[in-house]
Amino acid sequence: MMDELELLKKDWQSKEEHLPKLSYHDIYQMLWKKSSSIVKWILIISILEFTLPHLLYLFPGVSKSFETYEKLGVKDISTAIWIISYLISFYFIYQFYNRYKEISTLDNAKKLMEKIIRTRKTVKHYVIYSLSMLFVTCIIIMIGIYLSDNLLDAFPSANDGEQKIAPEEFKNILLWTMGVFSILMVAFMGGIYFLLYGLLLKKLNRNYKELKRLEV
Amino acid sequence: MNKELEHKFVTELENNQNIVHKVCTLYTNNRDAHKDLFQEITIQLWKAYPKFRGESKFSTWMYRVALNTAITLYRKSKRKIQTQDYESVIFKIKADEYDATQEEQLKLMYKAVKQLGDIDKALVFLYLEDKDYREISETLGISEVNARVKMNRIKKKLRTILNP
Repeated sequence: MMDELELLKKDWQSKEEHLPKLSYHDIYQMLWKKSSSIVKWILIISILEFTLPHLLYLFPGVSKSFETYEKLGVKDISTAIWIISYLISFYFIYQFYNRYKEISTLDNAKKLMEKIIRTRKTVKHYVIYSLSMLFVTCIIIMIGIYLSDNLLDAFPSANDGEQKIAPEEFKNILLWTMGVFSILMVAFMGGIYFLLYGLLLKKLNRNYKELKRLEV
Repeated sequence: MNKELEHKFVTELENNQNIVHKVCTLYTNNRDAHKDLFQEITIQLWKAYPKFRGESKFSTWMYRVALNTAITLYRKSKRKIQTQDYESVIFKIKADEYDATQEEQLKLMYKAVKQLGDIDKALVFLYLEDKDYREISETLGISEVNARVKMNRIKKKLRTILNP
């Protein structure tokens, strides 16, 4: 085998002149093309993950829900939660940015992979945290609904129709809707997240495992 | 980034482009993908260039960035249709250069190397480029001993592919 590999090496090195040749101009053009590296994708997806939940609040329906929260008596809690969640988000963004800046193609292969995995872990923790927050918020609202005596005042539109709904029935419908909604939402977002990163980092994880295996 | 830096970089890359072409040949299966990977490596080299202090040779530095891009950063672009596998020039054996057995053997060897995993390929590539185990281990981030062990395993693996 040794001889065969040596033979291959000789042949490999003799092929240089047959390789494609790009001109100065060709290479120069490439400098301005956009990268499609996984690091760039992680950055794009992470920015979306950090901003999308906050953009939701811009929708009129969502900001209106503030009034609803107030009437449900959970406004103070939810305002406090929102302030804390912003602070935590900023902490995650800060940490993500630092780790992202550390990624360098000048590191050796293993270190580069480790840094990418570490950066992605920050996003992973952020997503787990966001999903838990979403779940907790839903539960707080459900508790608010459950404890509320004047539920129909909080949802004036429910009284608009010709038929009046019994408050007890309305409470049950709301509780069930919220419960199903929160579980579906968390499962859906979590599913998208794991699928996205699973596909994006399949190759990296495989190669990283291969390098790690060598160390044992 | 100023014009001077651009010019210096493009000239150096133009002179050393063989290294990138060889990495692309090993890690891709068609012309479009070859071009795509070449482009991504160029972008990554250019991004890292301001940090290149000239402590090592431009070519040494290129091996690292090019392999890192091929192994870790590069995502196969979806926009192209998979064309039939092309045999790049490096894998073509000219019949008149070798006797038939050697030609056949080399062909099989190249095919076997193409079938290896990303990390194994990187090791074989650096080996074929006549890099010593110290440089191989530094590029991949494994110990020198492990690089040797791994290389021996690859040789065994190639042997099984060649003599099933």
